[in-house]
Amino acid sequence: MKRVQFGHSPVPYLFVAPQIIIIAIFFLWPAAQAVHQSFLLEDAFGMSSQFVWFRNFNDVLSSPSWLKSAGFTVVFSSLVAVLSIAISLFLAVRADEVIRGAKVYKTLLMWGYAVAPPVAGLLGIMLFNPLMGDLYILFNKMGLDFNHIQNGNDATFVVVLIAVWKQVSVNFIFFLSGLQGIPKSVTEAATLDCKSAGRRFWTITFPLLAPTTFFLMVINLTYAFFETFGIIDVSTKGAPGGSTATLVYKVYVDGFLGADMGGSSAQSVLLMIMVSVLTVFQFRFIERKIHY
Amino acid sequence: MATLNLKQVEKTYAHGYKAIHGINLEIADGEFAVLVGPSGCGKSTLLRMIAGLETISTGDISIEDRVVNTIAPADRDIAMVFQNYALYPHMSNYANMAYGLKNRGYSKVEIDRRVREAGTILQLTELLDRKPRQLSGGQRQRVAMGRAIVREPKVFLFDEPLSNLDAKLRVDMRLEIKNLQQRLGTTSVYVTHDQVEAMTLADRLIVMNGGVAEQIGSPIDIYNAPATQFVAGFIGSPSMNFLSGRVSNDRSHVVLTDGTRLALDHNVAENRDVIVGIRPEHLSITTPTSSSIAAKVRITESLGAETLVYLTFGSKNEAITLRMQGTHKYAAGDELTLYSNPAQIHLFDQASGRRI
Ligand SMILES: Nc1ncnc2c1ncn2[C@@H]1O[C@H](COP(=O)(O)OP(=O)(O)O)[C@@H](O)[C@H]1O
Ligand SMILES: [Mg+2]
Repeated sequence: MKRVQFGHSPVPYLFVAPQIIIIAIFFLWPAAQAVHQSFLLEDAFGMSSQFVWFRNFNDVLSSPSWLKSAGFTVVFSSLVAVLSIAISLFLAVRADEVIRGAKVYKTLLMWGYAVAPPVAGLLGIMLFNPLMGDLYILFNKMGLDFNHIQNGNDATFVVVLIAVWKQVSVNFIFFLSGLQGIPKSVTEAATLDCKSAGRRFWTITFPLLAPTTFFLMVINLTYAFFETFGIIDVSTKGAPGGSTATLVYKVYVDGFLGADMGGSSAQSVLLMIMVSVLTVFQFRFIERKIHY
Repeated sequence: MATLNLKQVEKTYAHGYKAIHGINLEIADGEFAVLVGPSGCGKSTLLRMIAGLETISTGDISIEDRVVNTIAPADRDIAMVFQNYALYPHMSNYANMAYGLKNRGYSKVEIDRRVREAGTILQLTELLDRKPRQLSGGQRQRVAMGRAIVREPKVFLFDEPLSNLDAKLRVDMRLEIKNLQQRLGTTSVYVTHDQVEAMTLADRLIVMNGGVAEQIGSPIDIYNAPATQFVAGFIGSPSMNFLSGRVSNDRSHVVLTDGTRLALDHNVAENRDVIVGIRPEHLSITTPTSSSIAAKVRITESLGAETLVYLTFGSKNEAITLRMQGTHKYAAGDELTLYSNPAQIHLFDQASGRRI
């Protein structure tokens, strides 16, 4: 590999400076603060603090509410990732059959991507509004005794539904371009070799989409971990009783609402560690597995 | 082993474009048929209709007396080789060849026997465990052919399988395909836009133009007696020379635009407007006679074994190409006198382009 050498001119540093400053102010500095805070215990009024080593971590890891939130996060993230990938893959395959060659459809389908994300959360709340939400009313008319305000499982259903809904359009676009990247002649050769369309999908199409699928797994897990904060805050606020609070949401609740800065910082440090491990693991796995 | 029949086959695409205008064709058992024609004339469309990758708008296609119009591609007992190989990139070469057999429920032992045998025939034995991306273009196309032959189908279909290969490899593979087809004796339909490929491979040539089969016959018959001006210009390289002219009153000559007279021995009506066709290899240099063409050299191309001389003729600067054995050198502007045996002069109707 050839490298371009810039010598020792300061110009390149100048170019990357804005990005470095942004990362430093909005990421490195708060991260350092969090690490620092996670070793401190503040008094109730935030007047003084004392260095307590790993006591905050110990408290967090042995607290039932944190373990409950961790459990919810695992279930929630897996459900969101798997469901939104499965649904969008199904939709993309059906769409691909129709739009082979027809550009107009493709453009129309792209709109979903542009419209859905900002509106999804709001639409979700309205659909499940106990007074006028269509789905809320429908479910109860069906005799499901649906009540996400009080029932943890129902609340989980609501946040998963909204989170999946918001993510499907993103995944759909990736899958659709993945499908369109498969040469037409390969699909046709498979039509001559295998009569069953289902079998063709699992033996040819799906393996060829594996890189896209793994990439989306990473994206969707990250999304479910972090970016669903807004959805949860807007819809359930972690209720009932913290049964829909992801770890990220719990950091916010404990730190900002509960004013337990030490505990909340310890939680975010734990999150940082988990995410780093997850990221390293995923990319290692992708590098090794998804080559053909 | 099978015959292939096309009866009044037509294709109209979804948005109304008519790509195939009624083609009738009977391909005998074990015959190597080549569809040749310029790009866009409907060759691939016709082949894909036989394969079942395109629907048949009207007419019938039958393989061994069974009409296959509504039969799924996988059940037609055909195998196809594509221009861009169309191998499954995530599977080994072995798995690529085995895939079609596996889906048809063959035993592991039988699959292994057939794949290894095809591997031997195509000299792929060492490459079977690799993935397609680890092979050269020529090797990939061999794997694609292996995938077709392990199936032992009734009909092979080839869609420009050599177009992605370089010139030398193309010639080698052409011979290999011919050999393989003769050895297996499988009825084959081969699509190409390359007339040399078509001439060398075909038992029977189908020259297509604008969705119509302009002429069907053996390569030599088509070369010797092209049915239309289009076929005459398409088959043979360099292309046949075309000059406009009119048959004389006594029908013994054709008079070209500048008054030059060429002797004829055709049975043709007097004063008829015609196109005179003479192949470059049927012209020779002579001393001026009453039946010769005087032309000016434009460019000379020496290919070693032969020389191509490009000339212009008459007041309208009509182009003439001359093909000579051996090496010759002419300067631009040199005057040459050309002659053709009347038996080797083709006449076409000026209006319809049909052979006279
Ligand atoms: N799927 C399609 N839809 C509409 N028109 C098509 C389609 N495929 C091919 N055509 C048109 O049909 C004509 C013949 O195409 P094709 O059979 O691919 O030609 P060839 O293989 O001889 O180059 C072309 O004019 C092409 O544009
Ligand atoms: Mg073609």
